[in-house]
Amino acid sequence: MVFHSLQGLLCLLLLCAVGTFAIDIQGRIVWNDVCSNATTLGRAKVVLDSGSQHAGAVTASGNFKIFDAPVGTYLLSVISHDYTFDQLRIDVLDSPEGAVGVEVRPYIAGTPLNPPADVLLPHPITLAAKQKFSYFTAPESFNVLSMLSNPMTMMMVVAGFMMLATPYMMKNIDPEALEDFKKEQAKMSGVQNAIASGDFKGGISAIMTAAEEQAAARAAPRTGKGRKSKR
Amino acid sequence: MRFLPLSLLVHALGCWAIHESDVGVVDWYKSLIGVPLAAPQPTTPKFTLVEGKDVILTATESNILASLNVDDGSIRWRVAYDPEDRITGFYQNGDALVTLSGPGGAISRSIDLKTGQIIFEQRLHSNSEATIIQPHVAFDPSSQDIYTLSNGYIVTRLDQKTGTPAWSWSGQDQSSLTTYTHLLATPDTIFAIGVSTSFASYTLHITSLSASTGEVLASSELPSSIHSPAVDLFAFAKEAPVVAWLEQGKVKSLALTPNLKDKKAQVSSSGPFEELVDVGLPGVLVGKAGQESTVLSFDGSKFTSEKVLGEHDVAVKYAGSSVNGKRYVAKSEGPIIEVTGLDSDESAILFPYDADDTLSHYSIHTSSVGVPRVLVVTTSGAVQLFVNGELKWTREEGLTTSLLAEFVELPERISAEGEATKDEPFAHRLQRHAVLAQDFPQYLKSFVRRFVTGSYASATSSAVASTDGALSRDAFGFRQMIVTVTLLGKVYGIDSSNGNVLWSQLLGTGILPFKVFSLKTVSDGVDPEVVIIAVRQLPEGHETVVFHLNALTGENLAGPSVFRGSIAKAFLLDQSSKFVILVDETLKVHYYPNNGETRTAFKKVHTTLSFPMHLIKEKEHSLAGYQFAVGEGEQVVATPAWSLPLSPGEEVQRILPPSARGPVASVGKVLGNRTTLYKYLNPRLFTALTVTSTKDLCGLYLFDSAKGTVVYQVRIPADNGACDVKTALIENWLVYHYYESEVSSGNVQGTKGYRVVSVELYEGRGIDDKIGSSDMTSYANASTAVFTFEDSFTFPYALTALAPTNTKFGISSKDLIVATKNHKVQSFPRRLLDPRRPRRKPTSQEAEEGLFQYDPIIYDDPKRVISHSYEVANVRQLVTAPALLESTSLVFAFGLDMFVSRVAPSGTFDVLSESFNKPQLVLTITGLVVAIMFTRPMVQRKRLREKWYM
Repeated sequence: MVFHSLQGLLCLLLLCAVGTFAIDIQGRIVWNDVCSNATTLGRAKVVLDSGSQHAGAVTASGNFKIFDAPVGTYLLSVISHDYTFDQLRIDVLDSPEGAVGVEVRPYIAGTPLNPPADVLLPHPITLAAKQKFSYFTAPESFNVLSMLSNPMTMMMVVAGFMMLATPYMMKNIDPEALEDFKKEQAKMSGVQNAIASGDFKGGISAIMTAAEEQAAARAAPRTGKGRKSKR
Repeated sequence: MRFLPLSLLVHALGCWAIHESDVGVVDWYKSLIGVPLAAPQPTTPKFTLVEGKDVILTATESNILASLNVDDGSIRWRVAYDPEDRITGFYQNGDALVTLSGPGGAISRSIDLKTGQIIFEQRLHSNSEATIIQPHVAFDPSSQDIYTLSNGYIVTRLDQKTGTPAWSWSGQDQSSLTTYTHLLATPDTIFAIGVSTSFASYTLHITSLSASTGEVLASSELPSSIHSPAVDLFAFAKEAPVVAWLEQGKVKSLALTPNLKDKKAQVSSSGPFEELVDVGLPGVLVGKAGQESTVLSFDGSKFTSEKVLGEHDVAVKYAGSSVNGKRYVAKSEGPIIEVTGLDSDESAILFPYDADDTLSHYSIHTSSVGVPRVLVVTTSGAVQLFVNGELKWTREEGLTTSLLAEFVELPERISAEGEATKDEPFAHRLQRHAVLAQDFPQYLKSFVRRFVTGSYASATSSAVASTDGALSRDAFGFRQMIVTVTLLGKVYGIDSSNGNVLWSQLLGTGILPFKVFSLKTVSDGVDPEVVIIAVRQLPEGHETVVFHLNALTGENLAGPSVFRGSIAKAFLLDQSSKFVILVDETLKVHYYPNNGETRTAFKKVHTTLSFPMHLIKEKEHSLAGYQFAVGEGEQVVATPAWSLPLSPGEEVQRILPPSARGPVASVGKVLGNRTTLYKYLNPRLFTALTVTSTKDLCGLYLFDSAKGTVVYQVRIPADNGACDVKTALIENWLVYHYYESEVSSGNVQGTKGYRVVSVELYEGRGIDDKIGSSDMTSYANASTAVFTFEDSFTFPYALTALAPTNTKFGISSKDLIVATKNHKVQSFPRRLLDPRRPRRKPTSQEAEEGLFQYDPIIYDDPKRVISHSYEVANVRQLVTAPALLESTSLVFAFGLDMFVSRVAPSGTFDVLSESFNKPQLVLTITGLVVAIMFTRPMVQRKRLREKWYM
């Protein structure tokens, strides 16, 4: 009985001992192009898990220290207003020799903690800012060039130009070529109309008639010319 | 790779973002520090010189350490300490400020006086073994190293630059009878001064340590009898280290030597005194006796009476300052502060201090040219600086204790024309028109100019309507009055367009605000009115006070109406007119305004009303519901209707009403396949948050207040025994945020982190089952027929507050506004938190509904941070209010800092778009007009020619 309670006491003692196994987690924020010094970083904190139990401030030199982290698995994150940092997985281990060790691993947000990543990072942790938040969107500014380079505007301008220029172009064009062009256009529009209205047969016949007409025109080239001259 | 679809998604959600030019136009931000702490001496505000400028250093009730400019009261820097890490004192050491914080002074920090950056942070003892003994810091004037006394028995020497402990000496452990409270340093010796408990009082105990090694040189118990060491024991260094104490009315002092051989205390001839006051000057104490107070100063061997300050009463406070070796002691009496020079015969200077407030504490400082300055902190939290008796600036730090806030709409501007009367003579009218016509050319000119170049009022324009005369709203109702009530018993009327305090009103001391309601709004055709319900603490118990104020001016409209006892519940009813129903502790019903009309109106509806409360009986918590019934003498009383016992050990944290009771725009959600999900819109739903500390569990209940049926219930793991669940119920959407720490329960498989869970409640048994839950009586069985969709997401941040947006007609989508622990206010779109997001690629029907693929991570979009680069620290509460524009909601965040901005969750669809390009429109029209002018003659010519050739 006495032995039993002694064992219990020992267990309790051991438990207490395990409970007091704790280590300071140290690290440093490395200044880089994204965040070059403590002033631009502003007030920042490094926390384990939710930060309700273990947290440390980032000092002016970029160092941080989280005191007395007991044995366990934690997520280390940096709380900063303007910058994003990687999260790390921290395992505070209780090695058989009684010493307490720290293992640091990379961690991707939202992924399960197990299995742990194979990559081990050095213990005095080094972290660097990944990205600076950009809160603002640039307002759309107006400039005439961008307005003119808009395809719709360009089409409109070209169409307007064509409207004005066509009569003059028509005037300068060879009358015979014009006649041919007109015929071609009428023919094409006939085919298009027929196909558009779903009348394939009519469409094909329109092509056929066009071919016939062409042949007829070749046979009697005089008539067209005569009509034209009448104008 | 993972973020690529996310970025596409963000575009799909629409980009309502802030432009840099909108900063300060659509929003404002007031950075505050909190009410400065008074006692003990190491935390009182102090004046110091930094880079040739006078600054004030202060630690505050909000646990902020701050440095203020003396010239204008602006903040130079501030350091926010965690709530559990209370500042116990700050001490200046050259260019650095050393602070001790946490229980027993567990953490020591050194802060750069110029920039406020933390130079080092060092833990002195672990929190688990901490005591509540006031720690102390001393500096060695030669090496500037830091000596700390923490937890009452640990003395540590820290390097001034790195904070590395050189040595640490621990007195006997905590169980010992000696606790140390003061520390004095000389270049060679450190003196730890404390007391040992003896039979009836305390005995002085001093240990001297070697400064270089921390070895004990001597330890000695001095024959003395100290009644209360916290107020009767003093230690200071004046040429030599001296310890002084009050013993049986006499001031005793002893100069310390390293070997502590001299144990003979010197007794001052003056006295006897009832109390000694430390005024922050080494070697100066103020002794209070009877009706008289005397300044005592240490002359090298003992304390001698230096000056008699005259009469005093209980409220009198003292402060000291020294400049260029000249010492001054101030004494306050009512609104007058009297400064007396100790080393010169400077006559007493009087400071007319006029404020309706009473003085809480003050610090004095005399500039090098002899201008006396007084920093006054009032009981309502105002911080004021008086220079030569004149008010220089005021900081309304009482706002950091705001508990309640209510948006009140402002009236429209009444245009000052139309003086025409009906029977106006013709000549008079002609004359009037002629006078008015004078302005016509001006008007025409400005009209043309406005037409061509001017901009239209957009949703991002400044909300300032008019600068002249009466208070009025702007075109879109962005300018409103925010009425806030603080813990310190003051009401403020804040302009929501720029954050200026337009009026303030003192309600009185010892007042705990309970609720604020707007009793009359602009639509009632009168000035808006608010009712503030507060509980006043009296020596004989509590009483409930109702204040009725004009929201535009802060004027009292009626004397406060009072009833005995504390209040249990208060709510606003809107029948033919608005009135407030108050239920006191004894379940008796009170009315405000207390008239016949109110009574009859309430009697008509009282049977349909119910409210929930939380009951504690013999340490067992339960939820209970109450209804109203007519009791004795036709009096309406609240009667218990149901009670829901919770499991053993489960405690109710809070009962929350729905976040917004605005209009519901649609009762259903039409799905892609043309079926409908009908929203469960039971208006009697309340949320209860519970904590079971024994099982490390938190609970959330959604229940019907009329019959106690639990509609939705969930158990959430606690984070190290603490339950910090943030929740909001909006229409049929319940959203809650918590920290998931599965590792503590032995499961490392999952992932740790913040979670947000989104639950949507729909009525009936499934799709297309419409039961009309919004109008259904609670007695119908079907009223709790509900089915849910829920999904959980990992959230990037810890939250301090959460609220949905609130719009006038409820048509715009309801985004979630959150205040994060990294000092931001951010909006999260509702569509991102849709619990029906499919786990695969959405089908065309789902895409039609606007659903997209589920991703466990909520994308943190910096473009949706509405507080952008502002550090909105320690937000306690978010209040949202509708503007006149349906698309826009106003957001007010308060806690430590104050922040107001606008959000448009569905885009500003009801105003001309921000990207609307007026110059382009004008240019296009001009282009077309020119083209017509150019082509018109051409067309005419062509027509004419055609007619000729017909």
